[in-house]
Amino acid sequence: MKQTLHSNTKSAPVVSVLIDLTIFSLATAGTYLAQELDRPITSVLIYLTGVILIGARSGLKQGILAAVAASLIYNFFLSEPAFSFGASTADEIVPLLAFNISAIVTASVAGRSRDSATSAKLAEARSASLLTISDRLQQAVELAEVLEIARQTLPAHGVTDLEIHVRRGGQLYDIARDGHPVNPLTALLQLGSDNDGTFSVRTYEMVGAHGDLGFVKFVFPETMSTGDKHLDLQAVTNLLALSIDRCMLLDALSEARALQKSEQLKSAILSSVSHDLRTPLTAISAAASSLRSYDQSLSPVQKDQMLATIGEQCARLNRYTANLLDMGRIQAGISTSGFEEIDVVEILGVVLSHVRQSFPEQPIRKEIASGEILVRANGVMLEQAIFNIIENSVIHGGGQGTVLISLCGEDDSCVLEVTDKGPGIAGVHQTDIFRRFFRSESPATRGGSGLGLYIAKGFVDAFGGSVEVISPVEDDLGTRMIVRMPLAASMPTGTPK
Amino acid sequence: MNILIVDDEPAIIAALTPVLGGQGYVLFTADCAKSALDMSQKHSIDLVLLDLGLPDADGIDIIAKLKEYSDPTVIVLSARHLEKDKVRALDEGADDYINKPFGIEELLARLRAAQRRKRLSGESEVSKFVSDQLHVDFSTRQVRLLGQEVKLSPKEFSLLEVLCKNAGQVVTQRKLLIAGWNDPAADSQYLRSYIALLRQKLEYDPSEPEHILTEPGVGYRLSVSHKVKEM
Repeated sequence: MKQTLHSNTKSAPVVSVLIDLTIFSLATAGTYLAQELDRPITSVLIYLTGVILIGARSGLKQGILAAVAASLIYNFFLSEPAFSFGASTADEIVPLLAFNISAIVTASVAGRSRDSATSAKLAEARSASLLTISDRLQQAVELAEVLEIARQTLPAHGVTDLEIHVRRGGQLYDIARDGHPVNPLTALLQLGSDNDGTFSVRTYEMVGAHGDLGFVKFVFPETMSTGDKHLDLQAVTNLLALSIDRCMLLDALSEARALQKSEQLKSAILSSVSHDLRTPLTAISAAASSLRSYDQSLSPVQKDQMLATIGEQCARLNRYTANLLDMGRIQAGISTSGFEEIDVVEILGVVLSHVRQSFPEQPIRKEIASGEILVRANGVMLEQAIFNIIENSVIHGGGQGTVLISLCGEDDSCVLEVTDKGPGIAGVHQTDIFRRFFRSESPATRGGSGLGLYIAKGFVDAFGGSVEVISPVEDDLGTRMIVRMPLAASMPTGTPK
Repeated sequence: MNILIVDDEPAIIAALTPVLGGQGYVLFTADCAKSALDMSQKHSIDLVLLDLGLPDADGIDIIAKLKEYSDPTVIVLSARHLEKDKVRALDEGADDYINKPFGIEELLARLRAAQRRKRLSGESEVSKFVSDQLHVDFSTRQVRLLGQEVKLSPKEFSLLEVLCKNAGQVVTQRKLLIAGWNDPAADSQYLRSYIALLRQKLEYDPSEPEHILTEPGVGYRLSVSHKVKEM
């Protein structure tokens, strides 16, 4: 773009001079012809027209040049006596004066209108570029984006770099280096990294809806410092201030929303904690104090029951705190960096032995594909996720029959299905069951924390998988939970060494 | 056997002391890293129960120092989900870990396993591992399951040998890779495949193993729920 502009401005004067010369030659020829035909007034008018044309076209300098040349030629070649200079009669001085005056007048009039045309064009270009920048800035929702967009759009207008310093809480921050506040004085004086003297800087203050927003530093080459006519930097600064204002408002808004959300979560956790911790604690406390104070009056069977209660309630507390911890892990965001190739068949084996310990009476039928089924996951979290899903099926449906567990690799995913023969889950609740602290109304769920399936889904999601629920399965009964996880991509081929 | 319990929670020490004392163990206690190191220097300690969250240091950092004086067995008390810490502690020289909270039976089983291994490692030549189901002869490399001979490849046998010699204790993937491939950085895929082969030969239901148990994220453990004969 710049290249073509450059070559244009180079070739334009040559063409212009050629056109002027052509006009001048034509006018000379016309005058000569008119003179030959003895039409002195016509001949002078023709020459005058030529001079006016040149003045209008090319400005004052060329106009006067043409006028002087025309008067010389007219005086020397064309007017009587030919081939000699003479200004003895008014007939000869008048054309000379007329040529020059008309050249000066037309050139200045033309020049002025050309100037206003140029400035109109410039203003149009300015507002067009401002419009472009403003359009782009509208899309920014974060401060960093504002800077990025400015850095993308401004170089086309000669600004090589810019810094935006935003004032927040009385401190000044450089958007490019977020985090630490900067010293306002050094921020103002320092000239970025390209401080080799060939750049000059202009600083503009930004004012937003709530007062001072900071300032913008525009950096451009020294040669541009006389004024970058293509861009109104003050207007650009105002645009930047507008979008920065908007970004900061959006920020504050989302912070407020997050705060509100975390407040809601906090109260949900608190109500859950106060119920789910206190219930087992009450049971333990009651049993322990009874054993202590009424040791004599209790039968051995009763004592045994109380000790069993203490053990069970401890296990419940342990499960609950583990759940809270896992919920915290999900909320903090699970990093995939610690994931490794895990054989789901192997992990299912670990889970099954825990399930049989926790629910020794529960009949379980297995359909497990032979060989390995590898996924990228965290072994402990995968174990917890699968355990929670099977535990849920056993609690909600196991009492009425066998729980079926099937595991196989299909195409490029691992599919684990756990099917129970319980009453099923009503359609309206099928998404609720994965919500934090959701508990169904059934008496079987007493003692549950409402976190098991939430955690299972959170972990499986982190492994890039999904948990789906189908209910009823057949005869209006049963629930099937389907866990799908992508198979590990890089499976070493061949037999082990 | 002298046991040092390192935990800054008096309730845990108070709960463990009567039963462990009743089992004939001699108990010492410490509530911080500094006093733990002092105790291990003053007394000849055979086993340390080490809580990792100590007020004055990370328990992992004192494992090597604890082992300097009388080379005690170190069993780490850890939370279930901190498998990275467990692996780090085991790499630092810890011999086993127990997830908190634990039942006393589980703790006693671990103590017995540690005691057995310590006694075995004291002997010049350990020749056999015998439980009521599994019979492994290290010198003749013979393996019998419920009296039936089981043919194992050399690599399968070396893996089983390490597991048997550490019966009841966790063996990290790293240790098994060194035992089988002489290279801790070998692909754990090989290890998984060989463990699967071993399970097919030794387990009644390989999808629900009873002998070779997986410790997710850490390694494997040979179960001693079947009675191990003291040899």
